[in-house]
Amino acid sequence: MIPGDLHAEVEAFLYHEARLADEFQLDEWEALLTDDFHYWVPAGRIVGEPSEQLSYLNDNRTRVATRIRQLKTGKRLSQLPFSPMRRIISNIEVSDLGDDEISTKANFVIYEIAAQSTGELRVWPGHAQYRLRRVDGTLLMSAKWIELVTAEIGQRNLTFLI
Amino acid sequence: MFTFMGIDYGQLVQGDRIHASLLHDPDAFAEEMDRIFIRGWVFVGHESEIKLQGDWVTRQLGNESVIMVREDDDSVNVVANRCAHRGTTLCWEHQGNSSFFQCTYHNWRFGLDGAVRAIPFPDGYTNPKEQLGLDRAGQIDSYRGFVFVNLDGSAGPLDEHLGAAGYELIDRLCDLSPTGRIDLSKGWIAHRVQSNWKLWPESDSDGYHVGFVHASMSAATDTYYDEVVVGGDAVSSSRAVDYGNGHLELDFRPSYKSELSWLGVTRDKVQDYYEALATRVGVESAEEMLWQGPPHAFLFPNLFLGELVIAIVEPLGPGEMIHRHTSVQFEGVEKGFNQRLLRQTEAAVGPASFITSDDAITAERIQSGISGTHRSWAKENRGWIDLSRGLHREEVDEMGTRSSDASDETTNRGFWRRYLEVMTRNVSM
Repeated sequence: MIPGDLHAEVEAFLYHEARLADEFQLDEWEALLTDDFHYWVPAGRIVGEPSEQLSYLNDNRTRVATRIRQLKTGKRLSQLPFSPMRRIISNIEVSDLGDDEISTKANFVIYEIAAQSTGELRVWPGHAQYRLRRVDGTLLMSAKWIELVTAEIGQRNLTFLI
Repeated sequence: MFTFMGIDYGQLVQGDRIHASLLHDPDAFAEEMDRIFIRGWVFVGHESEIKLQGDWVTRQLGNESVIMVREDDDSVNVVANRCAHRGTTLCWEHQGNSSFFQCTYHNWRFGLDGAVRAIPFPDGYTNPKEQLGLDRAGQIDSYRGFVFVNLDGSAGPLDEHLGAAGYELIDRLCDLSPTGRIDLSKGWIAHRVQSNWKLWPESDSDGYHVGFVHASMSAATDTYYDEVVVGGDAVSSSRAVDYGNGHLELDFRPSYKSELSWLGVTRDKVQDYYEALATRVGVESAEEMLWQGPPHAFLFPNLFLGELVIAIVEPLGPGEMIHRHTSVQFEGVEKGFNQRLLRQTEAAVGPASFITSDDAITAERIQSGISGTHRSWAKENRGWIDLSRGLHREEVDEMGTRSSDASDETTNRGFWRRYLEVMTRNVSM
């Protein structure tokens, strides 16, 4: 059983991270990442070795920095303007791995308007697996892996922070 | 007697402009699916996707779902993904391995060759079994693992369709592998785009847009596209090439400033690869190939040879399509080399990529922009799309190959020239 205070702390972190992503507060979101952060959206289930697969997204820390830099150029057509979006996070499970490492799982649904082209409402249901690490007393995110319910049927543009 | 659905393609596709109605007209779409995807040659898949006997993948060719399967004799077969009895879909997953295909409706069973093997309660049938097999592609042919089909069997041979240029482009890619063989079995990623399929042959081979649509990529990353195409007129050494038959290339070879630009590394990082390549092709050829890299080309109507990415253009409806891609993997290289190709593919192509996501948005904006046009407007001079760029400086060689500045619309015109030929040629009905 996870102590209530750790669960509450992790939950607060996830909600904060989600709001920063929804609102394109890109620098603040990036500040949540450890130097070895790994961001992965596989083309199927979360299984196997990520580096051996062709994925929708497989960013190390350097590449996620590039991703954020591109969003901030003001010329990223697929996020011009940024998508109006909000996500709901639920079914949060927390495991304390010791040594200040925490594993977390959650379900999510994102509602996004494709404001850049058709204006349609796009719905993104999925499951997220996070690794969090306590560094100098503060929680940071060292991995975020996203398993989309729609992984196998293909996606429309996925250029926001999922 | 063949009658068009009232569409005068000759009026709508002109040398320097095309009518926008062709990008959303449902009648035009229906005719394209028949004339281009049933009666013509189309790319279906790669032999490396079905290595073992019984391996199969499903693929969508226009309106037709097909199964590409490795038969018991190792040959590659392509059959309709539809029971010959009552039309039920036979395979609803993307891939698998089977020794036969069995329909779930009345348990009819078909061999990998498409012939009917077993029918429950066969006493009810008097027709010969030969009539009860799956619809099989009329022509199947392959080149260096790339499998093409002509579903109705009425097109000429594949070499007539591909021409010397089609073979040369495939060669230029495959020859870069140390063994001369590539592998396309890492799976395909589907990018769903709300646009007409014909916007992608153009986008994939258009050099004019790169500095604008992909300005954010240039600003955020160190990309070799800056030196080979972004500058428009300033990059006069890269060429937009129309080989005829709708086969197109953006030829970056003259513009590369260093060897291995296309791989984003220096030779010392891939010394083993270079040595393996040189062992097969000789030092002189290997040196040249490291400079030239793989082609950036489009083979009509649905195959994009995007350097180290292969993509299929899949029409789903007049305003809906999938751009489906996979990463080229070389045989005979270290694991790390192929992983580099996977990461490079993820950066360049797909829904979350740094490049083609912006092409997708552009295609959707075009689709929104043209969706109100009607073909009757053509004679009123409304709703045209201009493709005249560089017409005055286009060169034609003795083979009929047209080429011009990489920012010119030679490739776009080449696609539509082929389109017009296919949509207006006489066919027996």
